[in-house]
Amino acid sequence: MMLDQIVATREQPQVNDSIDSGTIAACQRGDRHALRRLFDEYKDRVYSIATYSLGGDHAAAADITQQVFLKLMTRIQQFRGDSEFATWLYRLVVNTCRDEQRKQRRFVPLADSFLSSMKSESSPRRNYARKEVSERVQTAISELKPKLRWPILLKYVEGMSYEEIGVVLGCSKGTVASRLNRGHQALSRKLGDLRGQVALD
Amino acid sequence: MFSKHLSKLSSAYVHGELSSEETRQFAEHLIACASCRADFDEVKMGAKFAEQLTLFSAPASIWPNVIAGFDHQPRASTRIQFLRPLAIAAAIVMMIAGGWWLWRSIRSEVPPSWQVARLNGSPRIDSQAINQDGRLAIGQWLETDATSSAQLSIDNVGRVEIDPNTRVRLLQTNSSEHRLELAHGRVSARISAPPKLFFVNTPSGVAEDLGCAYTLEVDDAGDSVLHVTAGWVSMQTANGEPVVPAGAACVTRKSLGPGTPYFEDATADFRAALARFDFDSTVETSSKRSSTDVLLREARPRDVMTLWYLLPRVNKDERARVYDRMTAIMAPPPGVTRDGMLSLDQEMMNSWKAKLGLSWGQPMEPKHSFWKKLWAETLGRVNGLRGKR
Repeated sequence: MMLDQIVATREQPQVNDSIDSGTIAACQRGDRHALRRLFDEYKDRVYSIATYSLGGDHAAAADITQQVFLKLMTRIQQFRGDSEFATWLYRLVVNTCRDEQRKQRRFVPLADSFLSSMKSESSPRRNYARKEVSERVQTAISELKPKLRWPILLKYVEGMSYEEIGVVLGCSKGTVASRLNRGHQALSRKLGDLRGQVALD
Repeated sequence: MFSKHLSKLSSAYVHGELSSEETRQFAEHLIACASCRADFDEVKMGAKFAEQLTLFSAPASIWPNVIAGFDHQPRASTRIQFLRPLAIAAAIVMMIAGGWWLWRSIRSEVPPSWQVARLNGSPRIDSQAINQDGRLAIGQWLETDATSSAQLSIDNVGRVEIDPNTRVRLLQTNSSEHRLELAHGRVSARISAPPKLFFVNTPSGVAEDLGCAYTLEVDDAGDSVLHVTAGWVSMQTANGEPVVPAGAACVTRKSLGPGTPYFEDATADFRAALARFDFDSTVETSSKRSSTDVLLREARPRDVMTLWYLLPRVNKDERARVYDRMTAIMAPPPGVTRDGMLSLDQEMMNSWKAKLGLSWGQPMEPKHSFWKKLWAETLGRVNGLRGKR
């Protein structure tokens, strides 16, 4: 079986948009309430993806999120509905993050700063083991190569299908599958010592 | 051995991105190919880690900044004024569409659950009696009394019969894991999902399905008995993880861990001696030795499996007796030496394990093709093995 052949025979993915076409149309007419609804729907996921892709830099992630929604408001009239809104939005997110990384010329794995920023987010009452797993996973993901990290983020933060991820990243479903495979294997190797803790969850 | 490995499909399989035919081919390949199974396990564990990702809350200051930035950009503001009546109309349409969308979402979003069919009496889900059928959601208990029984099923995973006086809870059900908790009573599972996806937690250990069918019983003390009728099951405990093949059973005591797996058609004397050896802590060393005598005397060719499990459980003198009996019954695998086995050399232990068909991580012997055939039959009846996301 060839992977490309396999993925080519799959059915169309389920639409994962939770914003209806009426809201999009209202946003295109400049309706602030509709824009606010759209912002509320996506802000946490956009911010989280930006945070992970920028190695845990929350200030930069907030800036990216702001840029993404500003671009969205000014460009939403260009959205023609010939793709899912989520894939259109996440193309904006990915491109904005990549632009930011190019601008800052910095490499992503800021494990120490990521961990310290994560600690400030955490409640002191959280279960220590769970917190450790969560922090280690976040750091490990931030250390993945971008081409392996993006499919992981779009899959696990946004819940996209392989086809949707392929549209966002401009690659085939087969490439998405291959990169997710490699990303999963890399995570498994990096976090092998936590195997028992996750398995028992 | 295989001209083409399929492990590159592991993630697509875990995420339900393969068609039913591709899924069937992948699952069949997985059964037969140790290399792809190892890769699949690694990918599955990586996916479990990725599932731990959490969302951050975006700071509240972002929206005002977005609006401020937007308001300072030049644009055709009259256009919005001009379109205001249209905007009102669109808002009405949007409200209708939104209501329809919400209604559709509520109707279509079924939380993860297993189908429950009543077989006898009045089984209860969280104390509510079910009529003919119902759904068991994550966290809910399904309980049967002395006169009731039920069947749990889920597409593409399998079915579990719940015998009378049994209490089970659904702990997890997703593409990479289906897990029940058996508090007490007896369940009979027939699993069509690929190996290592279905688990049953008991007070004394976790039964991990390696395919295909077994019965698991838990008594009021939390001790369990596993009877495997097809394929293999691994009993995971803090004190070991024996793999139990079809036709064999394994008793696990909550306080003592797993006993030694044995074939259920072993002689009564063999089984009684094994029970004394495993769990009778009051017996003296001499009595232990007499139990071993019975085990060695009564062992048939297929009981070599039990003797192999005994090797690390006995002292070195006893181990020599056990090993000599094993080799008297069955020729050792190539490359295995007596000294190596007496010092429990891991590689040599694994060679024996593979020879005995207990080796989940090793290529299977042709004699186990029956299991593959059973799998193929089971899988062949399933349309869309992985089902909808």
